[in-house]
Amino acid sequence: MGVLYGERHYGYSLVRVLSERGSISLKEGTVYPILARLDRDGLVGSEWVESDQGPPRKYYALTASGRQLFDELSQELDLLVSLVQQKWKTPEQPEYSGKRLVVQKG
Amino acid sequence: MYNYPPVVAKIANDYLERVKSQLRLVPVREQNEFLREIESHLYEAYQQTPGEDDVARILAVLRNLGEPAEVVSDRLPGAMVRSGTSRNLPLYVVGGILIALFGLPLGFGGLGVLAGLLAAATGVLIGFYAATGSFLLVGSLVTLMGLTRFLTPHLFDRMVDLGFIQLGGPVGEFLDQFSPADQGLLMMLVGCIFLGLGLGMLWLGKHLLRGLRFLFSMLFDRIRRLAQVVRHKWNPQNREAPDMSRQNPKPAMHAASSVD
Repeated sequence: MGVLYGERHYGYSLVRVLSERGSISLKEGTVYPILARLDRDGLVGSEWVESDQGPPRKYYALTASGRQLFDELSQELDLLVSLVQQKWKTPEQPEYSGKRLVVQKG
Repeated sequence: MYNYPPVVAKIANDYLERVKSQLRLVPVREQNEFLREIESHLYEAYQQTPGEDDVARILAVLRNLGEPAEVVSDRLPGAMVRSGTSRNLPLYVVGGILIALFGLPLGFGGLGVLAGLLAAATGVLIGFYAATGSFLLVGSLVTLMGLTRFLTPHLFDRMVDLGFIQLGGPVGEFLDQFSPADQGLLMMLVGCIFLGLGLGMLWLGKHLLRGLRFLFSMLFDRIRRLAQVVRHKWNPQNREAPDMSRQNPKPAMHAASSVD
């Protein structure tokens, strides 16, 4: 969804971008079921565009509701990331400095 | 414009045919659109795949794309839902199993088994409706008898004398223990139970019919498909280069029209 946020893509170009930007190793065919699901949920829209070089391409772009959902998910992810980073930055707990009890034998 | 070498076109068309066979329950318009999209993907990927060997290039493209079943995976459940309004009925489960068993192998074997199962299912359905009719008939008659016994006991006795009503054996002995009015009430109660059973079976039969209609439509679709394959094979013009456009021109691979 993030890739489709700024620009529209057809299936193959989407696969290329995902592979190049995110170093995601994926079966190319798995993109189409995901796109179909997003399309069915009204999160992406599509249109056919004629191509000079070959068969027409089906371009996908995020719809308004898709953008809204992506923004919400991004905010949630940012929050999650910041929480995790805060946890990492928490200073180490000082060692217990209570009185030492010395048991004297004898 | 976008031409493949014949051997590449044949491999690509074969793949598209496999995708199409996976989409047989999807409406034709959706089928065409999806096949066009995959066709576009194959072309783009083929152009971007380097190599001297054309066959190796197209095979690499298909390997990266994945099996047809994976590519269409998200479109099948919707098609199953569209073929009926409910997914929980046993016959739809049977339908799913039949698709899984006979959806992949092409040929008359699976078709024969499917036809046999459908014939058996039809027999069961006919028997089911015969039983339903019997329940409704018996329920109506017994209720009518009960009403007659309850409202006009003399008429009932007259009909017994004339032989129209015969209630002998244990049933007659059991009913003789009660007054005519109670006998009427008992008969109406039993009649209503039978009527209720009959009506319940009638309601259930509506769903059974829907499931059977789904299975029959699947069978007819397969027969149509086989007829197309046979017709295509016997047509000498089609033997050179298989082309998906024989039925739906839109998703066709525009291949084999020229040789590199």
